[in-house]
Amino acid sequence: MTLTLAAIGYRYAGSGEPALLDVDLELRGGEVIGLVGASESGKTTLCLVASGLAPRAIGGLLRGRIAIDGEDVDSWPMHRLSQHVGIGFQSPATQLSQVTATVFEEVAFGPVNFALPRDEVAARTWDALSTVGITDLAERDPRRLSGGQQQLLAIAGLLALGPAHLVLDEPTAQLDPEGTRLVTDALARLAEGGTAILVAEQKTDVLAALASRIAVLDHGRLVMAGPSDEVLGDRRLTELGVTPPAVVRLRQAAAAAGIGAGLLAEALIDA
Amino acid sequence: MPELRTEGLVHVYPGSGVRALDGVDLRFDPGERVAVVGQNGSGKSTLVRHLNGLLRPTEGRVLVDGSDARGMRVAELARRVGVVFQDPDRQIFAGSVLDEVRFGPRNLGRSAAELREAVKEALDLTGLTGLESRNPYDLGGSRRKLLALASVLAMRTPVLVLDEPTTGQDRAGIARVRSVMEGASAAGRTVIAVTHDMEFVAELFGRVVVMRSGRIILDGSPSQAFDAARRDLLRSTNLEAPLAARVAARVGVEAVTEADLVSALATAARPPQRPPQ
Amino acid sequence: MVLGGLVGPSVLLAVAVIAPALAAGVLRDLARTSALLALPIAASALLVNVFFFPGGQTELLRVGPIVATAEGLAFAIEILARIMAISGAVTLFYLTTRPADLVVDLERRGISPRVAFVANASVQTVPAMVERASQITDAQRARGLDTEGGLWKRLSGIVPIVGPVILGSIAEVEERTLALEARGFTRPGRRTLLWAPTDRAWEAVLRWALVIALFGLVVLRVTGMFP
Repeated sequence: MTLTLAAIGYRYAGSGEPALLDVDLELRGGEVIGLVGASESGKTTLCLVASGLAPRAIGGLLRGRIAIDGEDVDSWPMHRLSQHVGIGFQSPATQLSQVTATVFEEVAFGPVNFALPRDEVAARTWDALSTVGITDLAERDPRRLSGGQQQLLAIAGLLALGPAHLVLDEPTAQLDPEGTRLVTDALARLAEGGTAILVAEQKTDVLAALASRIAVLDHGRLVMAGPSDEVLGDRRLTELGVTPPAVVRLRQAAAAAGIGAGLLAEALIDA
Repeated sequence: MPELRTEGLVHVYPGSGVRALDGVDLRFDPGERVAVVGQNGSGKSTLVRHLNGLLRPTEGRVLVDGSDARGMRVAELARRVGVVFQDPDRQIFAGSVLDEVRFGPRNLGRSAAELREAVKEALDLTGLTGLESRNPYDLGGSRRKLLALASVLAMRTPVLVLDEPTTGQDRAGIARVRSVMEGASAAGRTVIAVTHDMEFVAELFGRVVVMRSGRIILDGSPSQAFDAARRDLLRSTNLEAPLAARVAARVGVEAVTEADLVSALATAARPPQRPPQ
Repeated sequence: MVLGGLVGPSVLLAVAVIAPALAAGVLRDLARTSALLALPIAASALLVNVFFFPGGQTELLRVGPIVATAEGLAFAIEILARIMAISGAVTLFYLTTRPADLVVDLERRGISPRVAFVANASVQTVPAMVERASQITDAQRARGLDTEGGLWKRLSGIVPIVGPVILGSIAEVEERTLALEARGFTRPGRRTLLWAPTDRAWEAVLRWALVIALFGLVVLRVTGMFP
């Protein structure tokens, strides 16, 4: 299952400037692509476009072509697209529907919208809960969960519709270290299971472990893309408003000070 | 004279009966930069609200410049202790950046000249000069967070408390926050930051207060907090020392920041000098 | 109401309001809430009728030129009984019905899922806004907004609190709408009903019987066949 974005340009309704310009991206099954860039570089816009919410839900002008396994999705309504591409947001609590009393009902919200028979709804819901690892929270009140747990809930809610692709806009931005760990572990498991994930993040340390490829946005353009190690080690990152992972910073600082790579490398593996 | 102190501070939330603070003794001096760390539920947020009177002690007391805060209204305490909360959108109300920044000092009754100066300075420090007439909601989330910071900076309080200043911030924003904090403590202000960013702690703070279950379990330097021997202590609060500190421990040198680590390694790598013959 | 005087409303109150309230265990809440609800009307009805009942003769109390009469008092009590019956019934409904149950049932009987959603979500809005208002108040007080001063000061403090509450709530609704759309909310047609409140046969029979009885009684009253 491949999601292809070709020559994508997007302008928000009522805006003079394009938010995205000539972006090419391909998201294949089992792959995790990290999306980085300064704030306002277009990460959120790209997530909205990839999921179909832009322009379907928010208007605006979209150029270029989006295809799933080669088929153009231009004419697909949002609910059809949501079965292929799920989108998660930064704020854990805002993604809750607020009309459900338990985590189970909340995750079932998606399948329920599709008028699926009850046992299928239940099966999909339990599947999603166990993939993400929160079956023990099934009876809990969604509003009383921690930020990290709520993000896991949001992801489970998306998975219940069975999409092969997930697009996540800074899922750990508002989480503490524990919440961040919960979410990144779940994402790693998802990728292993074959889900394709496009995740925008400021935390490059998280991406270093999680993503196989990194794409860098600058003022709406894709300026760098490639294997994770290469891109994260590129010295141009800081100019582009991206903080390299701690490991990379240390290596670069050590190299600059003339310290042998060997000594540091061993310590870095253990630390 | 110490700026701010808590003595045996206890806080029990009336509704739930939760003992959020269980006997906290702290002292903050002018010019200090202190990081308060701990996981959710450790009492960090409750502590912040005691520092400016939003919450009142169940037991114990909070002393501001020697006087018990209990006798002062929140509006009065706001002259001494400025608190910047985590979510700028739960604060911003004005139609322009300028009006938003003026709100604080206006409430404190500053003169027109003082007001202008304080606002200008705050905008400069947060990099928002030139955006005075813009609607805050036209700015991105990162800039709105800086706006919230500017609006409290303009109050020129002797104590500045920041609740999660780096969460949700981008690289440029974090750099700004750093320079603001360094400038503030250089000017003799007390800066207290509640944070879970351990690298930020190592780089900027001379003192770390680690909280767990409403108590202080460590009050010392970052070196002490990130010491290998204390690894379990930190882990019990679900926190981890920054990479540089962990590598330093591995390699057997003293360091908590990347810069320190690199120079420590450089020193260790140099061949021993032979004494002149 | 059809059976005049005091008997009708009192019987109604006892049978249709107090007995079910006892059974549901909400009698005390019911008494308190329905009393509060009825208070304004009851107070004015009482005053007007006790003192100004036309044809009242048996004097009870004289306040200057105004006289309270026994006939007036009797009539006022009748009115009070009717008011209590009505407010009691309304309060009983409110106290014994869970919004979620009501909405699910309505959806089962055919209202649009989107309307059902709005009905359910509206209940949530108030606690969420209260929480938001409390956080915003904290932030504004931290910037010197005086909420403990004189009345005028407190009034002028409304804008810095109400403004962000409303703006923030609207912004949150916009974000939430996107998240919901991403989960198929805008798909036209019915939704799966995960569960439905139990509706036993006798309950349905009783409901229909009540509706028919009401209709019948109104007809009887209007055509004058029953005093």
